[in-house]
Amino acid sequence: MDEQIIQTIIIGLSNGLIYALVALGYTLVYGIIELINFAHGEVFMLGSMLALGLLAILGVHSGMPILVAAALILLVIALTMVATAGLNVFIERFAYRPLRHAPRLAPLISAIGMSFVLQNVALLVAGPANKGYEDVIPNVNVLSALLGLDTNVSITYKQLFVAAVTLPLLAVLTWFVTSTRQGKAMRATAQDADTAGLMGIDVNRTIAITFLIAGGLAGAAGVVQILFNNTTVWNLGFRFGLNAFTSAVLGGIGNLQGAVLGAMVLGLINAFSDRYLSAQWTNAIVFGILIAILVFRPTGLLGQQLAERA
Amino acid sequence: MSAARPAGGGALGVWLRGIVRGLAEIPDEYAAAFRRAPRRTALVTLLLALVVVYPFIYRYVFLPRQSALPLPLPDDTVMVFMLIFAALAIGLNIVIGFAGLLDLGYVAFYALGAYTAAFLASPHWHGVSLVLNPDVLPGSPGIHLPFWIVLWLAAIVAATFGALLGAPTLRLRGDYLAIVTLGFGEIVPIIFKNLINVDFALGPIKLVNANLTGGPLGINPIDPPTILGIRFGAISGFNAVYLGMVIVLMSIVIARNLERSRMGRAWMAIREDEIAAEMMGVNTVRTKLLAFGLGASFAGFGGALQASYQGATTSDFFQFSTSILVVIMIILGGMGNIWGVLLGAITVVYVDKTLLPWIGQRFGDIGRALDSPELARINPAQFNFLILGLVLVFMMRFRPEGLIPSTQRRVELHEAPPDQAIASAAVIADQAALATVAEQTAADAATEQALEAEAAEAEAPGQETPSQESREAEDQS
Repeated sequence: MDEQIIQTIIIGLSNGLIYALVALGYTLVYGIIELINFAHGEVFMLGSMLALGLLAILGVHSGMPILVAAALILLVIALTMVATAGLNVFIERFAYRPLRHAPRLAPLISAIGMSFVLQNVALLVAGPANKGYEDVIPNVNVLSALLGLDTNVSITYKQLFVAAVTLPLLAVLTWFVTSTRQGKAMRATAQDADTAGLMGIDVNRTIAITFLIAGGLAGAAGVVQILFNNTTVWNLGFRFGLNAFTSAVLGGIGNLQGAVLGAMVLGLINAFSDRYLSAQWTNAIVFGILIAILVFRPTGLLGQQLAERA
Repeated sequence: MSAARPAGGGALGVWLRGIVRGLAEIPDEYAAAFRRAPRRTALVTLLLALVVVYPFIYRYVFLPRQSALPLPLPDDTVMVFMLIFAALAIGLNIVIGFAGLLDLGYVAFYALGAYTAAFLASPHWHGVSLVLNPDVLPGSPGIHLPFWIVLWLAAIVAATFGALLGAPTLRLRGDYLAIVTLGFGEIVPIIFKNLINVDFALGPIKLVNANLTGGPLGINPIDPPTILGIRFGAISGFNAVYLGMVIVLMSIVIARNLERSRMGRAWMAIREDEIAAEMMGVNTVRTKLLAFGLGASFAGFGGALQASYQGATTSDFFQFSTSILVVIMIILGGMGNIWGVLLGAITVVYVDKTLLPWIGQRFGDIGRALDSPELARINPAQFNFLILGLVLVFMMRFRPEGLIPSTQRRVELHEAPPDQAIASAAVIADQAALATVAEQTAADAATEQALEAEAAEAEAPGQETPSQESREAEDQS
C-alpha cells in the first residue's frame, strides 16, 4: 500500500478514537431515554476548557520528568471526568427529567436550549478566541525515533497517547455494561423503562448513572482533545458533537460497539476527505452521510443492540 | 421519488389559489367579523392602524424624545428584520406548529431564497445581460428581474427544495427528522460558500474556474426592491418597513387560509397521531410534503426580502443558530398559533437587536461614569444565545405552549398525573372522534356540493364560487 494511504488511515483512526469517546455518550443516552442529547458536544467542549485550565494551573509542560507529567495528566483526566460527569447529571436533572413524560420533541428542544446555554457560558468565561496549549506529549514519530525504521509513515507519541486513554476506558465501559448489576439495570431500562421499574430497578437512578458515565467519557475526550489537538474554542462542541453523533448513528445508535466502529469509520472518512478531496467539503460530506444513513438505514451498520427499537 | 413531483406541482397550485382567495376574501371576512364581534374587531382594527402608522410615530414623536423613554425602540432596520423573521416564523410554524415536524434546518430555505434573489437581481452573472427591471439601466451586466417576480421565484425555489427534502424523510420519526433537516441546513450554506472556482465538465456544459455563488464573500450588490421607481432598500428608511408589512400580511393571510383548509386539518391530524390520521384517510405522504414545501416557501419570501433589502448576502449569514432563533420565536410565542409566533418573532428580534445592545451601552455609560472599564466592557448582545437558550429550556419546562398558545397544543402539552391523564385523554379522544365524524359528514356533503359547483363552473368559466366548501374540495383534488 502507498505510504500516504497508510498515513491517512493512521490519522483517521486516531481522530476516530476521540470521536468514539463522545459518540458513546450519545449512544448511551439515546439507548436509554431515546433523546438526542444535543448538549453532549458542549459537555465535551467544557471538558476541554477545564482540562486546559487544570493543565495550566498544575504547570504541566513538555520539559517535565515523564513520570511526573504522566501522574499530573492522569490527575487532570480524573478531575475533568468527575466535573463533566457531574455537569451531565445536573443537566439531566434540570433540563430532561422534568420532561420525561412530555411529548418526544420537548426534551430535544430543551437539549438544544441547554447546548446554547453551555456554549455561551464558555464564551462568557473563556472569550471568543481559540485557546491553545503547548505540546506536552512530544509530536515525534515513534517508528523512526524509537524503532529506528526507515519510513515516511509516522505514528506519534501523541497518537499512542490517544489510544492509551481511549482503549482502557472502552474496556472498562464494556465490562461495566455487560458484567455488573448496574450495567444490567441499564440494559433493562433501555429495553423497557416501565417494566424495569416494576422489577425493582430505580429507573431515575439508572438514567442518572448513564448520564454520569456519558459525561465522564466526554470529559476524558476533552482532555485528549487538548493534549492531542492542542486547541479548543467555545463553539467546538457543535461540529465535533455532530461528528460524534454521526458516528453513533453510523454504527447504529444505542449500540456501544457500533458507536466505536462508527467513530473509526467516520475518522477515516474525515481523514480521506481532508487529504484527497478538500477540507472545506468534509463537513458537507459528513452531513451527507448522516442524512443518507438516517434515511436509508436508520439502524446503522450494526443495528441496535442496547435498545431494540427501530 | 416520483411521488414528490405531482405533490410539488399541487403545492404551487394550492399556494397561489390560497393567496388570491385570501386577499379577495378580506373585505367579506372583515364585515362578517365586525357583525360577530364588533368590539374585538374594532380593537384589532385600531391595533393594525397603530402598526401601520407606527414608523411615523417613531420618527416624529419618539425619536426626538428617545432619551426620555424607559426602553429603546426599534429603528427601521430592526423593524425590517422583525418582519423578515415574522415571515420565517409563520412559515416554520406550518412545519412545526401545524404539522408537528421538527425542522432544525429552516435556515437552508432562507438561504435558498436569499441566493435566488441574489442570482436573479444582481450583476453577478456579468457575462449575460438580461434586464427586465424597468428601474435598472438597460444593458447593465447580469440578470435583473423585478422584485415582485424575484419574490415569487424565491418562494418557489424554497418550496421545491422543501418538498425535495421532505420526500426522503417521510418515513423518519420526530428526532431523526430533526437531525436530517439540521444536516440539510448545514450543507446548503457550505455549498453556497464553496462553489467558487468550480471546474466542471458534463457533455456540452463546461465550467472552468467558474464563480457560481461568490464564495465566502457572497453576492453584492443586489438590486434593492423597486416598485414604480420607488425604492425599498436599506437606505430608503421606512419604505422597506412597509414593504415588509405587505409581505407579512400576505403571509398571515396564506397561513390562516392553510390552517383552516382541509390540508390544515390534515396537518393537525398527523401531528396528533399519524397512524390514526392515516387510518382516517389522510394521505400522509402528500400532507407532509405540502407542510415542508409550503412552510419553506415563506422562508423564500424572507430570504428574498433580506437579500434585496440589505443589497448583499453571504453564506455566513445562514447559521444553525438562525434556525434555532426561529424555533425559539415559535416556542416563545406559542406553537401553532400565528399571532403567537408573530409576537415571538417581534419579541426575539427586539431583544436580540435593540434591547441587548442598548443594555450594553448603558453598562458602558455606567462603567465610564464609575471609571470601571470592566463594567463598561460588559456586552450582553454577545451572549444573546445564553438568554435565548435559557428561554428554550424554561419554556419547555414551565410553559411549553408558549405565551399565546393555540388551544389544541395546550391540551397536548400539559399533561395531568397519569390516571387523570388517561381519563381526560379518553374524554378528549371521545370529543375528537365526535368532531371528526361531524366534520367528515360535513366534508362529504361539501364535496358533493363542490362537485356540482365545479361542474357548473366548467360550464360557465370565470364564475368563481368563493365558498369554503369548494376550496376544500379543490384542495383535496
